[in-house]
Amino acid sequence: MKYLLAALFFGALVLVYIVLYLLNKKTPLPEGCEDLKADCEGCHDFSCSHNPAHHIKKAEGE
Amino acid sequence: MSELVTLLVTSVLINNVILNQFLGMCPFMGVSKKKSSALGMGVAVVFVIVVAALVTYALYYLVLVPIGLEFMELITFILVIASLVQLTEMFIKKYSPSLYKSLGVYLPLITTNCVVLNVCLVNITNAYDFSHMLVYSVGTPLGFALVLYIFSTIRERLELSNVPAAFKGNGIALICAAIMSMAFSGLAGIV
Repeated sequence: MKYLLAALFFGALVLVYIVLYLLNKKTPLPEGCEDLKADCEGCHDFSCSHNPAHHIKKAEGE
Repeated sequence: MSELVTLLVTSVLINNVILNQFLGMCPFMGVSKKKSSALGMGVAVVFVIVVAALVTYALYYLVLVPIGLEFMELITFILVIASLVQLTEMFIKKYSPSLYKSLGVYLPLITTNCVVLNVCLVNITNAYDFSHMLVYSVGTPLGFALVLYIFSTIRERLELSNVPAAFKGNGIALICAAIMSMAFSGLAGIV
């Protein structure tokens, strides 16, 4: 019973995250904020979308 | 009362989350090139940590403990922080475009900032009561923001300095961070 409760609780949290993620995606950006970029020089976390390595790859692909 | 003041001073200066515990190094190195970016990131971190700490603390003691799911704290806190960042970003986008302009770009970065998770977990593992939790959850991000801002001012000056080629960029920045860490450890005597 305890583990079922844990699974349900986990599922509910994931569902909340998915709903909020989709709502956030749907919310339009305010005027003038369409092309905001962080002044991040990049660390070794290449999974982060702000890492400059992604922009270099994109530029090479074009 | 003196205990709370000690906790505040300790969390801001002595047990500083960056210089003493070496957490949050990614934004520390990545977003410290300009004073304005450092300030924006600092404010966003303070806001998210305080809200995340309040929500996770309430969720732990009002939901997880009563139904005996304390072992779920880590996964719960991670999902709560991620959801909270989405919610915060959505509200700022909708109701405060000017704030979004200055903070919005840093909000997704905070999801992966381990300082947030650390604060939420420490509040539970140290069994803080509400007042101690609040002071610790305000003090830690303030210390983060303070060090990030000081470091950004140093890096701005370093840009204009004549640094040997081998040390340029992250090399000299890390040396400065090490000196800052030693300087802050000297503050241990005040408490």
